Amino acid sequence: MSLARDLRARIAAATTDRRVVNAVHLAAWRKVDARAESFAKLPHVEALRDKAAQIRQHVIENLPRYLECFVARATALGAQVHFAPDGVAACRIIAQIAAARSLSLAVKGKSMTSEEIGLNAALEAAGVRVVETDLGEFIVQIDHDRPSHIITPIIHKDRRQVARAMARELGCPYTEDPAELTQIARRHLRDIFRRCDLGITGVNLGVAETGTLCLITNEGNGRMTITRPRVHVALLGIDKIVPRLTDLPVFLKLLARSSTGQPMGAYTTLINGPKRPDDPDGPGELHVVLLDNGRSDILTGPLREVLRCVRCGACLNACPAYRNIGGHAYSSVYPGPIGSLLSPLLYGHAYDDLARVSSLCGACRLACPVQIDIPELLVRLRALASARQPRAKRALLRLWQWAMQNPWAYRLGQRLMRWFLPDDGDGWTRHGPGLLRAWTDTRDLPCPAVRSFRSIWENELRDEH
Amino acid sequence: MSTDPQPPSTAAQAAGGAGPLDAFLHALRRRTEAAPRPTPLPDQSNTALRAVRPAEELVARFAAEAIAAGCVVHRVTEANWLATVKDIVASLSARLVLVQPQSGTALTAERAAALGNALGTAGCSAVSKWDDDTLFNCDAAVTGIVAAIAETGTLVCVSGPAVARGASLIPPVHIALLDRTQIVGDLFDYFDRLASTGLPANINLITGPSKTADIEGILITGVHGPGVVHVLLLE
Ligand code: SF4
Repeated sequence: MSLARDLRARIAAATTDRRVVNAVHLAAWRKVDARAESFAKLPHVEALRDKAAQIRQHVIENLPRYLECFVARATALGAQVHFAPDGVAACRIIAQIAAARSLSLAVKGKSMTSEEIGLNAALEAAGVRVVETDLGEFIVQIDHDRPSHIITPIIHKDRRQVARAMARELGCPYTEDPAELTQIARRHLRDIFRRCDLGITGVNLGVAETGTLCLITNEGNGRMTITRPRVHVALLGIDKIVPRLTDLPVFLKLLARSSTGQPMGAYTTLINGPKRPDDPDGPGELHVVLLDNGRSDILTGPLREVLRCVRCGACLNACPAYRNIGGHAYSSVYPGPIGSLLSPLLYGHAYDDLARVSSLCGACRLACPVQIDIPELLVRLRALASARQPRAKRALLRLWQWAMQNPWAYRLGQRLMRWFLPDDGDGWTRHGPGLLRAWTDTRDLPCPAVRSFRSIWENELRDEH
Repeated sequence: MSTDPQPPSTAAQAAGGAGPLDAFLHALRRRTEAAPRPTPLPDQSNTALRAVRPAEELVARFAAEAIAAGCVVHRVTEANWLATVKDIVASLSARLVLVQPQSGTALTAERAAALGNALGTAGCSAVSKWDDDTLFNCDAAVTGIVAAIAETGTLVCVSGPAVARGASLIPPVHIALLDRTQIVGDLFDYFDRLASTGLPANINLITGPSKTADIEGILITGVHGPGVVHVLLLE
C-alpha cells in the first residue's frame, strides 16, 4: 500500500464516527477561545513570546554546554543522571532501576516522552505493574486506547465511552456523571498511591543553572507521583532545557495559557534533587534519564528550530486539519502540526506524508508560544521528502517547477488548464481528468478564468498605472 | 547568580558513573561545533515584562485571582482567624485535622498550638504528624505559605524539616494561612527572590484546587489533590 493511500485510509477511518469528529472539533475550539481570552489579559504577550523563542533557540544552538551544566548541577543536588541514546535504552535503564530495588508498582504522571518510547509495555514486560494516574491517560490505559492529543488525551471520547470503560474494567456501577466518574478514579488510584514504590514522570523543563526540574499538572497526580514512591524517575528529552532559573517564569507565564487558557496550571512543581534528610516525605532517590532518541540528529539538521517546542498543544487546537481529522489519523504519539514535523524526524520516513496534512494556513505559528515557524518547516520537510517520492511523481514535480519558471510554458499551461478543467456550468469544476481526479474528488475548484490576469494586465491595466 | 551559566569544569567528574553521558556530550559538542549560533541569550532581567501593579493593589488582586482560580478567600485578622478556621472545620464536620506549622510562614509554632487548643475544644483532634494514616485519613490540613503571587492567585508551599509535602496535597481540604506581606506581584518577582535564596528540594506553586477537564471538557475539582482550598489572608 502506498503511503498516500495509507494516509488517506487513516484519515477516512479516523473520521467515520461523526460524534468523535464533532467532539474533537468542539473541544479544540473551546481551547482556542480560552487561550485567546487568557492572552488578552496578559501584559506584554508578544515580548514574552519573543523572549521565550529566543531563549529556546539559544539553548538548542548551544545545547552541549547547557546539558553539561544541567548534569553537573542536578548531580550536585543528589540526582543520578543517566543517558539513553534511544527509547530502548531508556526503557532498559528504567527497568534496571526497578529491578535493582525490587520495585514492582509504578505510578506515572502524564508524559508524552514516555509514550514516545513505549515505556509502559517495556516495564510490564519486565514485571513492573505500571498505572497511569492522569485521569485521561488512566482511561486510555484501561480502555486499551491511544491518546489523541498531547494535553487532553481523551479529547476523542465522550462520557458514555468513559463510563463504559470504567464500569467494565473497575467493576463500578455505571454512571455517566463526569464528577462521579472522577471520584471513582480518585478512589481507585488513592489505594495505588498508598502502595506504589516507583514514580515516573516527564519533565516540562529542566534548568541548567540549578539542576531544577519543572513539572506542571492540574490534577495533582504528578505531585502524588513524585511524593509517594520512594524512587522517582524523571524522563527528560535532551532538548527540554532553559539556562537560568529566572528564565522559567517566562515560560510559566505562557505555558498553561497556551495549553488550556489557565493563568497557571493548578500545580507547578520545582524539584531540586531527592528529599533532604530532614524532609518527612518525598522520594529518597531521584533518577533523571536524559533521552536523545533522534533529537541530536534534529539538532544537527536543517529543521533544528522544531526543538524549541515546549509541548503546549496550542498548535493542535489551532489547526483546522487537526480539528477535522482528530489525533488518531496521524498514527503517531505526536499529532497535529508539531506532530507532522516531529514524527518524521523522530520515527523516520514512513511518517513523511504527515507533512502534507496542513494547508499551511499559519494558525499554528500564531499560536505557538515559542514562535516556531511550523508552516515554513513543513515546506522544508516536504522538499526534503520529495527526494524520496516515486520517480514519476518527481518528474511531474520537476516539470511543474520548470513551467513555473518559464513564462511561455506557464501561459501554455494556463491555456491547457481551461481545457482540462471544464466548467460545470456554475463557474466551478468538480471532475478533473486522469490524475487530477483524485484531487477534485475532495475539492471543488473555481474554473480557470477565460482571460488570465496576465492578459488583462498586459492589455488594459498596465497603461493605467 | 551568573547571567550566563558556564559548565563547571568538574562537570565530567560530578557526573560520576555517567560514562555514556560523557561520551554523548563529547560527540554532540563535536557534531555541533560548526553549526551557526546567531542567537544570543536574552538579558536575564524581566523587569520590562512585569505585570505592573502598584503595591497597594497586591492584596486585592491576589484575592480576586485566587477566587477566580477556585479558592475560597477569607480576609481575617489576628483576632478572628482562629474562629474562622473553627467555622470551616465545623462546616466539614471534621474530626481529624492536620496542623503543620512552618518557619517562614504565618503558621508559627505558637499559632499552631493555639489552633490545636481551639480545635480541641470544638471536639476535633488536631495533630501534627505526617504518617500515611494521618495524611490519608484526616479531613483537612492547615499549612503555612511561604509566598503568594498576586497576578495568578498562586500559593507557594515548600518542603523542609518536619514539613510534609503531602499535607497540601493528600487531604481533601487545604486551609492555607497567609500574611498579606507575603504577596508579591507576579511570577517574575517570585523567581527573582527564589534565585537569590537556597532552593528547597520541593517547591509547589499552587493555583486553586486540584482539577481536570479530561471528560468532555467539563471542569471537575478534587481529582487527586484537595478539591477545596481555603486561603486565610491575615491582614
Ligand atoms: S510547536 Fe509550539 S504550539 Fe505546538 S506544541 Fe510545540 S510549543 Fe506548543
